[in-house]
Amino acid sequence: MKKIIFVVLITAVVAVMAGTMLSCHRSTPLEKAIRQALVQQDTTQARFDSLCSIVASEPDRYKELLTDAGEPDALVLAKLIDEIGSTLRPPVRWDVARYAVKQLSLTIYFERSGSMVPYDAPGGRGQLKKAVNDLINFFPTGDKAGIKIVNDAIYPYSGSIDDFLQDRNIYASTQGVGNASYTDFQKIFNEILRVQQPGNVSVLVSDLIYSPADTRDVSLEKIFNEENSLATRIFKQYKGKSIVVHQLMGDYRGKYYPYNGKPFNYSGQRPFYLVVIADSRVIDSMAADAAFAQFMRPAGAVNSYRFNQAEQGVDCCVLPDWKDNSGRFRVDHHDPLRLTKCQGDRTTDVLCFSVAARLDGLQKDARFLADAANYHLRSMSGFTLKVTPITTDMFTGNNKSYLEGKTHLLTFAGKMQNAREEVTVSLTNDFPAWIERSSATTDVNPSAADFATTTLGLKEFLGGIASAFGSGGSYTTITVKLER
Amino acid sequence: MKQQHLIYLILGIAATALFVLFGEWCYELHYVNGFSDDMHNYELNTTVSVITALVPWAAAGIYYYAINSVRFDRWYHWLVVLALVMLITPVAGYMVTDSVMADNGKSYVAESVTFELLNMLWAAVLFVVASFSMRWWSSNCRHTPIPQ
Repeated sequence: MKKIIFVVLITAVVAVMAGTMLSCHRSTPLEKAIRQALVQQDTTQARFDSLCSIVASEPDRYKELLTDAGEPDALVLAKLIDEIGSTLRPPVRWDVARYAVKQLSLTIYFERSGSMVPYDAPGGRGQLKKAVNDLINFFPTGDKAGIKIVNDAIYPYSGSIDDFLQDRNIYASTQGVGNASYTDFQKIFNEILRVQQPGNVSVLVSDLIYSPADTRDVSLEKIFNEENSLATRIFKQYKGKSIVVHQLMGDYRGKYYPYNGKPFNYSGQRPFYLVVIADSRVIDSMAADAAFAQFMRPAGAVNSYRFNQAEQGVDCCVLPDWKDNSGRFRVDHHDPLRLTKCQGDRTTDVLCFSVAARLDGLQKDARFLADAANYHLRSMSGFTLKVTPITTDMFTGNNKSYLEGKTHLLTFAGKMQNAREEVTVSLTNDFPAWIERSSATTDVNPSAADFATTTLGLKEFLGGIASAFGSGGSYTTITVKLER
Repeated sequence: MKQQHLIYLILGIAATALFVLFGEWCYELHYVNGFSDDMHNYELNTTVSVITALVPWAAAGIYYYAINSVRFDRWYHWLVVLALVMLITPVAGYMVTDSVMADNGKSYVAESVTFELLNMLWAAVLFVVASFSMRWWSSNCRHTPIPQ
């Protein structure tokens, strides 16, 4: 009898132990689902929706994750996801806050000045119209886009979206709308910014040539200064906005109207611009959302630049096991960018490690991101940097979780000369050289070598926008701490 | 029931519970880049530490109260059970680890084997703890492995 009591007692003890141990580590179904999604790197809208359905299925259990209207609160959920993601190795970030911005609207402002008409001449390839059509087609709610015609003021387009898309000669069908002899940028930009709602994305399609009324006998320098000040004054009032300027090339066949010169016929290439204006938060959301990828990177864009882009953190981690690694180090469990027990290679004394970083959210083109010259590196021991785009053939079963979702490998190599040091790399946000290259101070000579690729006063106008928002700084900074 | 023996039982349970709670810390005394991180991400350290705690306690319970025979009360009988614990625990741990890793497209054969060899030592320690926690009330084996 005594024996049976002890067997029962010991069994009970073991069972209680097992129960206690398991309950210590038990998480809610939602937490488990979040962890699984992060570990599997399945950070898609569909997966996020499945998390929301878990919350919605048990409103009493997850009431702190619901809005007053009873809907899953993306921002509170984002906080929980961040908490769980930060416990993983390497920490995983999933920007779900963007799902809060569900319905964005698009408004196209189509410049109809005299110098724009030849871009859509019947004999040309119609790159300008194609670019605008693409903007509408690749915007998720593009079929509800608003279209306006702009020159001396802003006028509504009388047709439907389908009419616009199918129109082979948009300038002929909009003839007589407004005064095409000049473009009032002050009125246009002020109006665009004034009426813009928080979820609205406005795109001005223009040659960005400042051509105000009554400029007879006014020097170009004076016009440039006026243009520069005007841009600064307008945009300074809207600090929360971001402006993305895309430069594209289009066939131009027709009359060109130079500043204070005689109009002449020109047949060849000319640049035109798509100026995307929206709240910074909206641009950030679109940049992070694959559904807007083609809208944010229009086909045919030769150069792009975003004004008012705040420095942001990027998802990155050190690869613990990688073919280029040399020497030894251990990645800290709590700080994925802190390497401890660092030792150089036994023969060369070189310590080499690679950071996998996700840089696509920075909205820079592939060429810019892959060029090590665009990165500013600071270290006490003179580490060097190599930048390599990540391709799927680099993936193996064991490094997949480190590389998946990342776009570039930043490989640092150097001889560590101190017991502790920091290697800091910044992607610098300089006023882009292409704007300077694409800017002209005269446009009277169509046979000039740079006539086909430059725009009168572009630097002054865009420089004015840059002054409004303040330029310089960096897009992102990554600091790796090294300890022997 | 002597009070001293009850204290041994409570201390044994506490030590085992601490091992499960800090299992990850114990296992990461031998840290392997990549493998240890994935063990953490898939919460395998917890799973394996629970297995490593339960198998020795279950084995000790079976030995002292189910077998509980004078024919098996010598120290080498106890060693056979210890050997079985040191075999079953790493094999079970390896199977769970390998299954989860494989489901997620990972392969850490060498790292898992090394990990389980070290886990074998933890299992042995916990079997000793379990034995000295519960042997006192066994009618035939309470003097095994060391007489009272």
